[in-house]
Order: sequence, then C-alpha cells, then structure tokens
Amino acid sequence: MQPCSREMQGINSLLNPSSQIPLQDLQNQQIQNSHFDPNSSSNDDFLEQMLSAIPPSCSWPDLKSPWDLAMPINSNGNGNSAAKPRDLPDETDNTNVGFHNNFDESVILASKLRQHQISGGGNGASAAAAKMMLHPQFLMASARGGLPQNDVIDGSSFKGGDGSIQELFNGFGAGSMNGTGQASSQSMKHFNHPQGGAMPAQNFGAQVAATTAVMNQPQPSGSNGGAPAQPKQRARRGQATDPHSIAERLRRERIAERMKALQELVPNANKTDKASMLDEIIDYVKFLQLQVKVLSMSRLGGGAAAVAPLVADMSSEAGGDCIQAGAKGGSLARPSNGSQTARTNDSSLTVTEHQVAKLMEEDMGSAMQYLQGKGLCLMPISLATAISTAKCHSRSPAINNNHHPLLQPNGEGPTSPSMSVLTVQSATMGNVGGDGGAAKDAASVSKP
Amino acid sequence: MASKHTIATRHAQGIRARFASRFLRSLLRLRRSGNRFGGSQSNDEGIGKRIRTDRIKIAAYAAMARAVGPRRSWSRALLFKLRNRARIHGVSRKRCLVSEKKRVTRNKVVAISREPSRADTLRKLVPGGDSMDTCVLLEETAHYIKCLATQVTVMQSIADRLLL
Repeated sequence: MQPCSREMQGINSLLNPSSQIPLQDLQNQQIQNSHFDPNSSSNDDFLEQMLSAIPPSCSWPDLKSPWDLAMPINSNGNGNSAAKPRDLPDETDNTNVGFHNNFDESVILASKLRQHQISGGGNGASAAAAKMMLHPQFLMASARGGLPQNDVIDGSSFKGGDGSIQELFNGFGAGSMNGTGQASSQSMKHFNHPQGGAMPAQNFGAQVAATTAVMNQPQPSGSNGGAPAQPKQRARRGQATDPHSIAERLRRERIAERMKALQELVPNANKTDKASMLDEIIDYVKFLQLQVKVLSMSRLGGGAAAVAPLVADMSSEAGGDCIQAGAKGGSLARPSNGSQTARTNDSSLTVTEHQVAKLMEEDMGSAMQYLQGKGLCLMPISLATAISTAKCHSRSPAINNNHHPLLQPNGEGPTSPSMSVLTVQSATMGNVGGDGGAAKDAASVSKP
Repeated sequence: MASKHTIATRHAQGIRARFASRFLRSLLRLRRSGNRFGGSQSNDEGIGKRIRTDRIKIAAYAAMARAVGPRRSWSRALLFKLRNRARIHGVSRKRCLVSEKKRVTRNKVVAISREPSRADTLRKLVPGGDSMDTCVLLEETAHYIKCLATQVTVMQSIADRLLL
C-alpha cells in the first residue's frame, strides 16, 4: 500500500500534534454539518455527517479501551512518543479532553486516507481500509474512539513487526466489527478488548487507527510492510486471517451448528455446555440402543423379557414364580421355569438393570422415563410379591404394565394388594388376545 | 443389487416405512426358520432365547441400515460389519471368535493411553465412527439418533400389534 507522499505528509502532519491546522479544518467541518446519515452514498459527506453527529454525545465515560491510555498520553504530551505499556484496565478522567483532540485528528486522518484510497485505489489492504472507513459503524467508531496517535505510531506496541502489520491489515480488510481479536500483536489484543456494543465500535476504530498508523510506519521505512497479503476473505474484524485460524474458526462453527442440530434431537437438551451436551448425546444413544435390545427381546415368542431377571430377583426373594412377558396368550405358558429362565438370561439382561440403577442414581424422573420407554414400570415389592404369589396359584403368566393395575376398567378399585393382583390377572387374561392394551413387558420391581 | 422392492421404495415412503417393511419381512423369515428348528427347545431355552434375541436385534439393525442405504457413512459401516459377521458366523463359531479376537488385538497394538474423551465414546457408539473427524461424527450421530428413534417407535408399534 503506497499512499501518496502528499497523503503521508498530511498524515504525518496530523500525527504531529504540533500542527493544528487539520484540527481547525475539522472543527469547521463539524460546525457545518448537523445531520448524520449512515447510509449516505457520498463518501465525503459521510465522515462529515458522522462527525457532526458524534460531537454532541461527547462523553464516553465508560471507555475502557486502550484509547483511555492513549488519551493521557496524548493529553500529557502531544509530542511524547514514548511507548507506554498498553494495559487495558486503566481508565483516566481526562479522557474526554484528549479524546476530542484525538477524535478530530483521527477523523481527519481517516478522511484523508479514505479519500486517497478511493481515488488511488491502493492495494487490497488499503482498499479494504477505505471500505471499512466507509462502513457506518466504523465511522462511528473512529469518531467516537479516536485514533490513539503517538503510541500507536511508534509501533512499539506492534511488537510483531511486519507480521503484526500484516495481521492488522488483514483484520482491517476484513471489515467486520467482531471484537474477538486473534492477532498476535499486543496492540491487536488491546484493541480487541470486548466490552459490548460500544466497545466493538471503538475497537473497530482502534483497528482502523492502528492500521492507518501502521500504514504510516512502513512508508518511511520503505519496508514491505505495506504489502500485506490480500485479505483472503472478509473475516470478522479482530480475527487474524492466517489460514490456520480461519480453518479453525470454520471448523468450530461447523461443529457448533451440528451440536445445535443434535440438541433438537436429543430430549432434555437444555444444556448450554458442549461437554455436557455431548454427555447427553452419548447417554441418549446408549439408551436408544438399549431400547432396541429390549424390544428385540420382548419380540420373542414367549421369551423372557428384559425384566425377567429383575423380577426373578424379587420373586426369588418372594419365593414365587417370576413374571414373564409373553407374546400371545397361547404361547405364554411358562410357569415355574421362570426363575431358571431368568437366571439364564440374567447376564444378558443385567445391562438393563445396571442402566436403570445408574439412571436412578442420577434422577428418578429420567429412570422412570427410561423404564416407561421400554414398557417397564416400577412397582412396590409388596405388590410384586402379591402378584407372583397369585401367579403361583393361577399358574398363568401375568404381564403387567404399571398402567394395567391402575387403568383396568374393572369397575372395582384395588382394595387390597391381593385383590388387585387378582383383578390384574383376570384383566390381563381377558386382555390377552383382546385390544391393544395387553402388556407385553414385564414389571420391574424396585426396592422401596 | 436393487430389488424391485428397493427401487419402488427408494424415497417414496420415507425411512420409517422402509424400515418397517424390511423389518417385518426379516421377522417373518426368522419366525419361519425358528419354527423349522422345532418349537420346543426346552433344554436350551435360555441360550436359544438369547440367540433369538440377538438375531432379532441384528435383523432390526440390518433392516435399518438397508433402509437408509449406502448414503450415510454409518449405515455403510454397519452393513459392512453385519456382512462380515454373517460371513464369519457362517464359517464356524469357534473360528469366528478366534479371528475376531485376533483382529481386535491387531487393531489395538498402538494403544493410546489417554482418557477416552467424549468424542471417543461417541465414536464407539456410532457404527463406523472410528474413521470420522469430529465434525462428520456429529453429523452422523444426528442422523443415527434420528434413525434409532424411528427404529424404536416402529419396533414398539410392531410389538404392540404382535402381542395382541
């Protein structure tokens, strides 16, 4: 980028606080214009409008930007070119005064640069800088943020040298207002101190300032800093545009969108944390696979259900038969082999047990949901005992879903466990082969 | 090879119907073959039931994978795994166990000793997840979850009907 010598002289004169001419010009301009039109197509008017709009609201008390540091530097000694460490947190009170000065100078600087760029059509970075200057937000920002003059120009904060300069240019050329900077240079980090809406604008302005100031730097030295790589893409402002970080960012964004899509699929996905979201996803996949397994078990003609071992455990305590799931009434008849069958199937069905136990530790609700999803239920041991003993008597497989003891329209409420068991049995016997209410999964018994 | 049925139901009915039809057909096939081996397996019921459980489960996964088709990486990996398993199963069970173990150990020669991150756990769960990077893995997981959910609902409704 090679701003013309005239331009550079102008800029240099601006940057030398000793010359007050540009300030006077700017002040004149300010007085004239009074309407701020961010969408103005006229480039020259744009800055003026912005300038006119900005000065009335001249207090930026909440500034915590590096400009705050820059302000005292400028206000203390305009000719002071000592680079001060640019730490962010300090905020000085003489912000506004110095700010105004910087504001004027920066605006003039920006306007001159813009004019030159637009007319000359410099290299990519410059053109990008020009475009960015035309950006309404940028203009606001530069007006409000001012351009820290000396310490920026010194380049002492631009420790990165050419690399940082290139980064600045590239970031500048990106034209975005993103406050999260990635640049390695210190100054970029300072600039990218995010503080909400106002700050990005100011940071943006700072970046502009930095870029313009930096553009000064290479010129006198004639280095190749003025020829940074063309901004490859309009990456967000403040983010270094070397290919690695861009690729990283793309990758991260893609992962974020996939995570959002997954969030909709997985129930109970109110977690905002990616790690816990991944945990949820993993649990849900495991749960679904387990459900498939259980359903495949219940599909067997007369096979023992997943709960058989659970029930068998309980029933072995109770000393009765285990409750088995059955397909149809006829194919059920599996009386007292239940416990044996259950034991043989125990290993394969322990997974369900463990899963339920694990879920119960975490959250009872999720455990219930899990069981319900499988068509299982929890029931008190006494009831299960009663059912199993009743089963012993009747020697018919009782397929109980929790709904059934409660929802059977038998016309008689469960007055006692034994009564309810009998009711359930008769109901299920009647239901088997009937409508769709017949339970297919056994009941699991939980310890109270 | 695309059978007439496959072509007809390419995307006409959605994945749910495709899976349902395939699964029902395989269930019928299994039932017929199960009946062929005799209804009373009273001596070996436990193991027999387990085998049948596994067979049904495998049939379900195979039906789902075929219904999805080779479009998705996980379905391809699942079909491949099932085909290998079927092939090895057909040869002999003993040999299959041995070969599986050898295969497994060979893969694990270079053991990375680090705590399995969540992505690794997910890779184990999703078929074919080993050879995917995180971004693709998440996408495949989303589709896999969707298909698993339809699988579960279809199986549940079938079970409802069957058990009547």
